[in-house]
Amino acid sequence: MDEKLEQTIVDLVGKDNFTRNIIDLVSYSCDASEHSHRPLCAVFAETAELIADIMKLANREKIPVTPRGAGTGLSGMAVPIRGGIILDLSRMNKILKISIEDRLAVVQPGVIYATLEKALAPKGFFFPPDPASGKVSTLGGNVATNAGGLKGAKYGTTRDYVLGLQVVLPDGRIMRTGSKAMKSVSGYDLTRLFVGSEGTLGVVTEITFKINPKPTKTSTALATFNNLEDTGNTINQIMHSGIIPSALEILGRETLSAINQNTDLNLPEVDAMLLVETDGYTQEETAYQIEKVIRIFEANHPQEVKQATTDAEVTELWAARKSAYAVLSRIKTSSVLEDVTVPMTHIAELLKGIQDISEKHDIQIATFGHAGDGNLHPQILYDGYDPVEVEKKEKAIKDLFELAIALDGTLTGEHGIGLSKAPFMTLEHDPVAMDVMRTLKKTFDPNNILNPGKMALEG
Amino acid sequence: MEAKYDFEKKFREQILQCSRCGFCQAVCPVYGATLRPGLNARGKMLLLKEVMDGNLPLDDQLTESLFQCTTCASCFENCPSGVQVPEIIKQVRKDMVNVGSCHPAFEGMHKVLQKHTNIYAEDEPEDFERERNQQAEYVYFIGCVGSYREDEATLEALELLDRLRVDYTLIDEVCCSGVLEDVGYEIIPNLARKNMDLIFHTGAKTVITGCPYCFRTFNNKPQYDEMKEKGVKVVHVTQFLQDFDFSVRTDKRVTYHDPCDLGRHSGIYEEPRNTIRKIAPNFVEMPDNREGALCCGAGGGVRGAFAKNSIAMARRRLAQAEEVGAEIVLTECNSCVHNLANAKLRKQKFKIYNTTQFINQLMEEAE
Repeated sequence: MDEKLEQTIVDLVGKDNFTRNIIDLVSYSCDASEHSHRPLCAVFAETAELIADIMKLANREKIPVTPRGAGTGLSGMAVPIRGGIILDLSRMNKILKISIEDRLAVVQPGVIYATLEKALAPKGFFFPPDPASGKVSTLGGNVATNAGGLKGAKYGTTRDYVLGLQVVLPDGRIMRTGSKAMKSVSGYDLTRLFVGSEGTLGVVTEITFKINPKPTKTSTALATFNNLEDTGNTINQIMHSGIIPSALEILGRETLSAINQNTDLNLPEVDAMLLVETDGYTQEETAYQIEKVIRIFEANHPQEVKQATTDAEVTELWAARKSAYAVLSRIKTSSVLEDVTVPMTHIAELLKGIQDISEKHDIQIATFGHAGDGNLHPQILYDGYDPVEVEKKEKAIKDLFELAIALDGTLTGEHGIGLSKAPFMTLEHDPVAMDVMRTLKKTFDPNNILNPGKMALEG
Repeated sequence: MEAKYDFEKKFREQILQCSRCGFCQAVCPVYGATLRPGLNARGKMLLLKEVMDGNLPLDDQLTESLFQCTTCASCFENCPSGVQVPEIIKQVRKDMVNVGSCHPAFEGMHKVLQKHTNIYAEDEPEDFERERNQQAEYVYFIGCVGSYREDEATLEALELLDRLRVDYTLIDEVCCSGVLEDVGYEIIPNLARKNMDLIFHTGAKTVITGCPYCFRTFNNKPQYDEMKEKGVKVVHVTQFLQDFDFSVRTDKRVTYHDPCDLGRHSGIYEEPRNTIRKIAPNFVEMPDNREGALCCGAGGGVRGAFAKNSIAMARRRLAQAEEVGAEIVLTECNSCVHNLANAKLRKQKFKIYNTTQFINQLMEEAE
């Protein structure tokens, strides 16, 4: 790194907020995806004003800047693929305001999802998306990826709760978007433009979230199936039965077996298990819903239907589900986790299609996911040190994306495009849409310094 | 590529099993105090992968991360991929010592234990006003921290044993030297030999340790296997005390800090709580407890080598004691007592004791 440049950055952020230590650079080279590239340096910043100055400098010197939260992203969006500066936002970790009266929370981007959850719980409120990585992922990262989670089918994703943002633009200007009002149609919806923009348009430095009262009662039930078609039909029937479960998750055979290696749950190792939670404010309300679900389970040739009876059992089942991605990584040296999403009526075809792709390429694909909103997580398990397996993985991914698009679906329901899916953007988006996206990027970031190399924006 | 280091030979698969999910970041005390992902378990596994892939030499520039781990095992406890981080870290430290890259504090500790009988290089052991090396039913083994840094706490633990009329003796103990295994070296056979000879000489069939680390060393390290062979049982004082009834109680709000060596490493969670509940009905848990307990920041040699961060970790733990309104923080480890007491802020009015010390004080007051 150029010494003069280094000194300029150090002068700006202070010695304690700057690092070129190899220990830090290696950790900043990765997120939870398979991608990796070391940055030149990393800086911690705690104010929008300082970030503005950093952006001005980077814009002037044309150095890439990659914002980073907890680094739990699954598609490489926090990987500094062009080097440059990592902007670590984890120290901007204050909850600035919780107003139950106005039903909103104002937070800095480095606040961990679970920290907000913990702060809201005593007040009987919650921020619903519930990403599986919520114990560690930051809210800024949730906004950048428009993170979904287990509660998506009923409560939507991060996007549905962002009322407003403070954003530092690539040229260093600071902007506020949205409103603290519950609704607003004032001007273009700049807030939504930034949610899910993967840190390519601006650096989010403050978020105003809408929060919900938290239902006080839940019921959990599960069913196992030895047939993917029955499983798909069950999901479909539940979702148009008139109730919406607060979670409807699917766990495939490999996932169940990997969870069994990690817990004492002794889950049945069948083709698929559906795990359903219903919620409400009275026991009758959730019981009514779960009974309806159980009736649908029973009409679709299940192996077993079971309702969780103790709190401990419920907690353990959901914790196991949230650990699925990481437990599966025990099987091979490498894995990629996809998040293709299709309209509900195609979920059975997607399940079957994933199985066919696995057989066609002779590669192991474990599946789990948020069946309730058509979002599956096929996790391809392979040996990253074996070029033959790596090639098989590439082919399987291509087939998977083609399948999802053919089923009127999308490449990504909640993890984002990042690096992993950039080569497939044109599969989903027509040339006009690609052109508009690229034009937007150029408008905000003409020098292409903010998180460059992502989302096929350079095409 | 052929494995160059022992850590690769033993743990390559484990290291590659790390899915980089980052769940460890939520619980790592070092990350919690520094917010540097390079110091978290995931960061450490990434460094080791780079070393295995030949992209990074295993040298001095990695000590700040690889030697800055309290081996509290929170990461392992929370790792869905089952990566045994503390074991990997201990092995890597040995490899690093072999290539001449060791944190100076740990190198110093190793040198000290080659010449002296304790980690502090103290020549005058506290006699605790008691005869040593007597014939007795029990040996009370204090440990270095209890002997040389928390001697008041130790004296009170011994007074408690006296009040309970326990037939015990102290011995001219030397460091169990188990800590060396954590910081890149090995247990010193002469020290192990001396401890065992002294213990055997007393005729005691049970050793009660005041230190959870000595407890682990005696029970788990092959250098001390002879104790098992000779039928000498080793218990931690918290296990020993649970069978006693104490005629005293306090109305104060009491909480308990799980030492990592007793809790996550030994699975001893309920014994201390059972004892404390007998004397303190107003017992309250901190938000992170048992398997989820936050480390006090002292372990794995971190207090000696990275004092500032060690204190910052202790402060995070004490903030939880403050949050639950505790008036008394009890624990079962002199090292935890020492670090927590050093980190306590003036505005924090609670007192920090070992359980033994606190019970002894209550009994003394009642007399």
